[in-house]
Amino acid sequence: MKVVLNISRFNPEVDQQRYFQEFSVSVEGHHTVLDAMLQAWRQEPGLSFRRSCRSTICGSCAVSINGTPGLACQTLIRDAAGADGRVILEPLPHFRQLKDLVVDLEPFFESLKAVLPWVVTREDYSGRMAPEVSRQLEVPATCILCGVCDAAMDAPGEAAPAALVKGLRLTLDPRDALGEHRLALMKVPPDILKLFIKNLPDRCPKGIAVQGIKL
Amino acid sequence: MIMHEVLIVGGGLAGLMAALSAAEKADVAVLSKLYPTRSHSGAAQGGFNAVMGEEDSVEAHIFDTVKGSDYLGDQDAIEVLCSDGPEVILELERLGVPWTRSPGGGIAQRPLGGAGFPRACFAADFSGHVVLHILYEQALRRRIKIYPEWRLIELLVEDGRVAGVLAYDLARAKTEVIRSKVVVLATGGYGRAFAKTTNAIANTGDGMAIAYRAGAVLADMEFVQFHPTTLYGTNILISEAARGEGGYLRNAGGTRFMADYAPQKMELAPRDLVSRAIFREIKEGRGYEGKYVHLDLTHLGEALVAERLPQVRDLSMRYAGVDPAVAPMPIEPAQHYSMGGVRTGVWGESSLPGLLAAGEVANVSVHGANRLGGNSLLETVVFGRRAGRRAAELAGKEPWPVLSKTTAARSLESWSSMFSDGKQIVQEDSTFLIREAATSIMTSQVGVFRVGDELADAVEKLKELKKRYKELDPPREAQPFNYALMEYLETGYILDLCEIIAGGALRRTESRGAHYRLDYPRRDDLNWLGHTLARRGENGPEFSSGPVKITRYQPQERGY
Repeated sequence: MKVVLNISRFNPEVDQQRYFQEFSVSVEGHHTVLDAMLQAWRQEPGLSFRRSCRSTICGSCAVSINGTPGLACQTLIRDAAGADGRVILEPLPHFRQLKDLVVDLEPFFESLKAVLPWVVTREDYSGRMAPEVSRQLEVPATCILCGVCDAAMDAPGEAAPAALVKGLRLTLDPRDALGEHRLALMKVPPDILKLFIKNLPDRCPKGIAVQGIKL
Repeated sequence: MIMHEVLIVGGGLAGLMAALSAAEKADVAVLSKLYPTRSHSGAAQGGFNAVMGEEDSVEAHIFDTVKGSDYLGDQDAIEVLCSDGPEVILELERLGVPWTRSPGGGIAQRPLGGAGFPRACFAADFSGHVVLHILYEQALRRRIKIYPEWRLIELLVEDGRVAGVLAYDLARAKTEVIRSKVVVLATGGYGRAFAKTTNAIANTGDGMAIAYRAGAVLADMEFVQFHPTTLYGTNILISEAARGEGGYLRNAGGTRFMADYAPQKMELAPRDLVSRAIFREIKEGRGYEGKYVHLDLTHLGEALVAERLPQVRDLSMRYAGVDPAVAPMPIEPAQHYSMGGVRTGVWGESSLPGLLAAGEVANVSVHGANRLGGNSLLETVVFGRRAGRRAAELAGKEPWPVLSKTTAARSLESWSSMFSDGKQIVQEDSTFLIREAATSIMTSQVGVFRVGDELADAVEKLKELKKRYKELDPPREAQPFNYALMEYLETGYILDLCEIIAGGALRRTESRGAHYRLDYPRRDDLNWLGHTLARRGENGPEFSSGPVKITRYQPQERGY
């Protein structure tokens, strides 16, 4: 099928402001938005966007698709292109556009540090963990740090959404010496945190549903 | 000028593990083509082989690996891999890896191909991903300096010793010279040299090609692993864990055809054997639409698929439109892994002083002619850790190597001269065409089944493509996030590596592991029980042979 990608362009070296450029590409309905973007790139090699795994595990190709943040490699053309066969692609909202669809990720990765996102191993950890506990950890551990939640949700407090996912996982980890101080580090009131956990699965490309947090 | 005692190039499992171990004693930085969490290690699904229980033994792991390698693996390196494994798994456990647990609370293990025991430690089917992110967290904790989205351009060699690198920052569109006492390459493989591959777009063999250009010896490049089960069409990886958990391979007649090829191991035979079996079935008319076979999980039940293989299920539903809990998946083999790479010793040391390498970019050689599932993730952490330790040790005792103004200036000059003629004819599409031609040649003529005249033809065609490549004008340098320029550079790396892979495959007139010659279908220990060494020469690669380290296990016939 013929699809028109309407892509936000901006090159800080030459452009005063962003503008849209249309690319007409030919793809199958079961192809992804990323496949279509790669075709547009062949037409205009100066077009910039991040990509790598093309299988929803690296998180590079997060962009705004028809106004909704998501992964280009996860979104099928038949779901993205409306009846008019058009797809609008813009850089992730809440992020600074650096060039075309590439945004500044430095503040995002920097924001993780606020929650001390690493296990501080307890001295007395036995090395054993019940299977149901490890399953609870595994769900938030599938976070790919794509930035879609930060783009799709307002930060519920001082810490950004992706940092909260890390913080919540560590709260559940029996190896971690910080234990309940983890909640304090996140600096989000319990009722707002509850709402965040409730809303997250719908906004997260990996559908992360955090379970087992006692607030 | 930027200076770091130890510069790690690559932010995947091997690179981060090397950085964490080196950071205990030295000033370390990681330069990575992507943000580290986006490295392709994250796509690894199945698990990390290590002997964790009393019923299994390190001895058995060593033997399985030696046999899996078709006796081309170096047994001293394999001993290190298997002996260090359990300790590294427990270290990762303490750092926070959410391993899947057995009912008793220990680390669960699953069987993978070519192993005599369920030996792979895993986290559902996100094994590489979770470990990558845990190591990244620890790198943040240790405040390790990261240069994300910087590309290695050249290794700077002074008097035969690596003294730093020329690097390119994609965001600022600027080159920088970075001085270092030790460079550790952990840049992964070159999957994108093949049209059909499971590998990420970033996997273009940059580190391997740049080391080769700097004079490092590469080894066993003709040994390329083709993964048996990738989704038909997209070649997205379906983990061996799917068979480890009990999945069946079936041909168009519904028959579990592995009974004809590996009656004992069946679907869990090593990958070289299973990939050949699948293509044989397809070639002899027993494939679906003459193109693919089925990987069937429907008998495993939805609960097991959901708990142990959630990613496999998601990938298959999204990219093939098939829920593997209720219908079989269409699969075909595709390039997956490079057994070959920068030749190193067991501490990561390459043939160039000042340069270490670990992970897929390296050839240490633990995989020989065929890698077993679960051994590459193990290799990244075991040899990443060792390379990091050795790098810190060298940094502690050696003075800063001299990097003369002449060498740095020559490197910068060679970079900027690429762009100097200023005519800027738009030729980017030729980069795409040349790359497509090369990668199709690799998949069709240097694939699972190889034959002399096709290999010779491939070598000739690749030479022609290199000539065409040299005539291209590179895309203009000065714009941020210049992916056209990166594509141009990567195409050059791929062409160099293709030439070595195809040349090595033509030269080796035997069949061993993943290298299968229809015109020489037998293993030939008398003439070919040796490593292929490749060095850059005046007119392309110069090949020679090197001995295989055999300690305990003499070559025997390899049956499964």
